[in-house]
Amino acid sequence: MDLFSNLALGFYTAASPENLFFCLVGVLLGTLVGVLPGIGATATIAMLLPITFQLEPVSSLIMLAGIYYGAQYGGSTTAILINMPGESSSAVTAIDGYQMARRGRAGAALSIAALGSFFAGTVSTFLVAIFAIPLTVIALKFGAAEYFSLMIVGLVSSVALAHGSIVKALAMVVLGLLLGLVGTDIYTGAPRFTLGIREYADGLNFVAVAVGVFGVAEILRNLEGEKTRTVLMSKVSGLWPTREDFKRMVGPVLRGTVIGSALGILPGGGAILAAFASYTVEKRISDKPQEFGQGAIAGVAGPESANNAGAQTSFIPLLTLGIPANPVMALMVGAMIIQGIVPGPNVAAEQPALFWGIIASMWIGNLMLVVLNLPLIGLWVKLLTIPYYVLFPIIMAFCSIGVYSVNSNVYDLYAVAFFGFVGYVLVKLRCEPAPLLLGFVLGPLLEENLRRAMILSRGDPTTFVTRPISAILLLIALAVLVVVFLPSVKAKREEVFQEED
Amino acid sequence: MTKLHLTRRGTLAAGFALATMLAAGSPSLAADFPDRQITLVVPFAAGGSTDVVSRILAQKMSDDLGQQVIVQNVAGAGGNLGADNVARADPDGYTILMGTVATHALNPLILKSTPYDPQKDFTPISLLVLVPNVLVVNPELPAKDVAELLALLKAEPGKYSYASSGNGTPLHLSGELFKSMAGVEMEHIPYKGSGPALNDLLGNQVSIMFDNLPSSSGHIKSGTLRALAVTTKERAPSFPEVPTIAETIPGYETYTWNALFAPPGTPADVVARLNAAANKALADPAVGERMKEFSATIVGSTPEELGAHVDAEIAKWTPIVRDAKIQLE
Repeated sequence: MDLFSNLALGFYTAASPENLFFCLVGVLLGTLVGVLPGIGATATIAMLLPITFQLEPVSSLIMLAGIYYGAQYGGSTTAILINMPGESSSAVTAIDGYQMARRGRAGAALSIAALGSFFAGTVSTFLVAIFAIPLTVIALKFGAAEYFSLMIVGLVSSVALAHGSIVKALAMVVLGLLLGLVGTDIYTGAPRFTLGIREYADGLNFVAVAVGVFGVAEILRNLEGEKTRTVLMSKVSGLWPTREDFKRMVGPVLRGTVIGSALGILPGGGAILAAFASYTVEKRISDKPQEFGQGAIAGVAGPESANNAGAQTSFIPLLTLGIPANPVMALMVGAMIIQGIVPGPNVAAEQPALFWGIIASMWIGNLMLVVLNLPLIGLWVKLLTIPYYVLFPIIMAFCSIGVYSVNSNVYDLYAVAFFGFVGYVLVKLRCEPAPLLLGFVLGPLLEENLRRAMILSRGDPTTFVTRPISAILLLIALAVLVVVFLPSVKAKREEVFQEED
Repeated sequence: MTKLHLTRRGTLAAGFALATMLAAGSPSLAADFPDRQITLVVPFAAGGSTDVVSRILAQKMSDDLGQQVIVQNVAGAGGNLGADNVARADPDGYTILMGTVATHALNPLILKSTPYDPQKDFTPISLLVLVPNVLVVNPELPAKDVAELLALLKAEPGKYSYASSGNGTPLHLSGELFKSMAGVEMEHIPYKGSGPALNDLLGNQVSIMFDNLPSSSGHIKSGTLRALAVTTKERAPSFPEVPTIAETIPGYETYTWNALFAPPGTPADVVARLNAAANKALADPAVGERMKEFSATIVGSTPEELGAHVDAEIAKWTPIVRDAKIQLE
């Protein structure tokens, strides 16, 4: 079969000593920038682009890819330990991962994240190898109407993200949607809610908002009561997941992998959406939904698998169409062009060693990451024993450098400060920041695609139900809505809510 | 930014003393220019065509200048943010801008208020490359050339839409110019960049698009998209078989260009040094090879020629923007 000879060529290419070395460099760097909150893969890859001039095209792309998925591993570390998502896609991991850490289960949470990521990475790498080309065809069937309907499913499901009152969850989603409106209207060019500040013309930076509402808010809360910190430090025990933990992570990891692989193919924030979607699903089908937000294992295992799977499959549109699904992929396109490779559908046919070499290197890189990360867990957990008055200024410094490095925009730092304060107020009001972030991610996509679909259909709203994929998605949204408001479920929800109070 | 404000305030406070110092300081500064790294501000996101051109050149210019030329992406407001940063930077040649047709001709015409004046607030260094735009369609569209496309658009006005990388971009204006010169109707669908627009074009969600030639070239070569025509006056060397729009609509011409600019009042000898480095980099055979693969035409120029080029571009686009009634805030 072709696939085997292709994979053999890929592993032959990826396993050359030179490429193994660059793969290792890539995943090491990726882990490092992932761990440092705010400093993301985008900035790192941009900085390293000039160096790749000197390398073979395949080595440079293997290294850059390694940075990207390495960062997905590393990003969960700070999310779990200090509630500071190192990467935007690990924002969801922070919800339950940090709660696990507060209960002294940081080691278990980190192992679960690493193992789940490895499994998802392995499976999705093979998915990329086998289905890259047919999957592209499906992705191309997604037009504006389909995206809009997909976003509706996301929004409707997001109510499940919150534990607590539906009203508060809805309020947070709406606030997120409104924040997502900040910036230039892409259809008319009118600036909206920018307060006349040109630095916000392209909208608020997601990393800045996430670091603010999760990380800075948490620092403020910790500084307020030194007691919670001491609890956190003293209870660190049991680095490894128990047999029971393993049993409970299997389902979420499998589902997370499927969700992540599917959403990763779609352009625009696939990995973040995948993590949110997986969390929603796990919470929905769990027999103990009240555990979510309090340190549920499924709430770590699912989203972590999903974001890693999404990170791998987001290479599909890049490799098969030459179309970047996110800013990191755009940089990879730049790297290819600089190397004299024209990205497009011909890459697989004209440069088989490059195409399959990158795919094979992803699996090798994932193996390296899990080998690298598991022994480090003990070290990471020790970090928690550093006195907080030493730790928090360091965290703040790295966050600031990281957020600034994304766009060299000082207004992003003001946004961090502002959203740190907002996050703190929200915690006090017992409002969840997660639905807010989801609204913030989905809002602009929802609007952009709604309006594009309407322009394309010349103002005919039936376009959403006459296009089959869109219609199916809307039906799913309706089903979710019915389930949420079904009397029996509603009663159960309220019961859960009361337990928490 | 903050540093610059401080400098300005400092200048005001210290009055003539500091101004004289700066003036006296500049010749010696130029003699051993550059003695530290130079920041090349790219006003667009990393990975795009302007970014790629910048990185290829920055590498070669570093070799010649003996100091690193660091690319800094300051994306936002259609390029205005980065351009404005350079317009306000210290005029010492250590902060320069990769300007484009957007930052130096279109944005100032389209926007109700621009923070800078493209002619007065910059010192031109050198024109670098011209990049053709291209009219591409999904292969399922029956039109095989520009004439057939025009026939199609005239037969069913209001049926077709075209995609571009965004509102007010050179590609949007290429489309508007096409519509007004040919007297046809097409709805404009703006996207956030070429990538998502191409995605919809490949999926035939939209069937017509104006794109940068480099970003579509892979698809044109593989046949997943059909190039009807390039927008330049001459055919593109990388695609000699693709005709020009002007062959069907005489006088039609648009293209994207990249050029280096320094802040206003940069000393002439510093500009000359940068100009020499830029032109030397452009003459490098390896750069020439990359640019050709990239479908960019190397131009190179003196600072004066770039100044004249900006004037000519503004003069050329003013009536087009006015007739297309594109005004953004």
